Amino acid sequence: MSNPPPDQFLTAFRAAAGLASEALSKWLGRPVSITIQQVEAMPLEEATGLLGEQEGTICGCAMEIRGSLQGILVVLSDDDAGLALAAMLLGREPSAGDRWGELEKSAVVETTNIIGCAYVNAMAKSTAATTAAMPSPPWFLRDFAPAVMQSIVMAQPTLSETVFLTRTEFAIEGSPARCSLVFLPTPDQADLSGAAG
Amino acid sequence: MSLPETFSGTLAPAATTTVPIGGLATARRSGSLRTFLGSCVGLALYDRRLQLAGLAHVVLPDSSGNGSPPGKYADTAVVALVAELSALAGSQTLRLTARLVGGANMFAFQSGPPVGDQNVEALEKFLKQADIPIVARDCGGGHGRRMTLHTASGQITIESVGNAPKQL
Repeated sequence: MSNPPPDQFLTAFRAAAGLASEALSKWLGRPVSITIQQVEAMPLEEATGLLGEQEGTICGCAMEIRGSLQGILVVLSDDDAGLALAAMLLGREPSAGDRWGELEKSAVVETTNIIGCAYVNAMAKSTAATTAAMPSPPWFLRDFAPAVMQSIVMAQPTLSETVFLTRTEFAIEGSPARCSLVFLPTPDQADLSGAAG
Repeated sequence: MSLPETFSGTLAPAATTTVPIGGLATARRSGSLRTFLGSCVGLALYDRRLQLAGLAHVVLPDSSGNGSPPGKYADTAVVALVAELSALAGSQTLRLTARLVGGANMFAFQSGPPVGDQNVEALEKFLKQADIPIVARDCGGGHGRRMTLHTASGQITIESVGNAPKQL
């Protein structure tokens, strides 16, 4: 069972998703459309199963956020969409033979850095905090989808039965490249006691 | 009706039960139990003589009194799995062994003791209390795992991205 978040979080997350989209568009030099798929509190088990029990692998770049805003931010894509994004940044057409090498990983790590920082800065501004939000360098991984989601949810410094989660999908015009940004603020940041009812 | 001398076609594969996060399942004699693991830990209990298998997908080390679903917590998973296997064994004595898989720490930035390590330590403690020996394990590391427990043989297959499958 999922629960709606407080209104101030909806407003902040939508603004952050919009600014992250603008940053990605500037970075790629192409229009980017966004779809906010989730902004809700949900049980731990539901959050870890968010991407389903799919057999395939996904790639993700994760950042830990500390300071005035705390949580885990991760940019996820399936192999084909992630490799298409890397090919675009490396100035070549995506092909069926593309594989994850150091250049491709570096391209998506840098993309995560750009859209992640835009997102975090927008969120932090909305909290009127006096200290900065500090993202860690992005961490690349490629693994089974359920394993990735488990680890993201369980990487929270304080384990909770309920997880507050936002998910925004970015689609790049004229390209198969796409990715999702998932942000999990720590339970105290999201005021889950109020949100979960 | 007589049987043909030769058979062409596809034999139905043995049933595979996927254990969801926080879930548990048991099986007897055939089929297999499967789960995906990141920082969570797969607890496999097996009785070779009776060909009884049980698998729990443990998420957290301690239920703190909230043991639902029972497979989710190390303390309640051991108790619930033993109870289900005992029911399947009926009047026969269970001789269980345990194997642990998973408990990865996939992000280098994670601070504090990784929850995967906490889950493994908790399971060690509760299995000792239940007098069930741990005979093998494949835990830790920075990668996820797909764990399949084959009921007839008791063999566990562990798959991970970019590596050859291994048996436990």
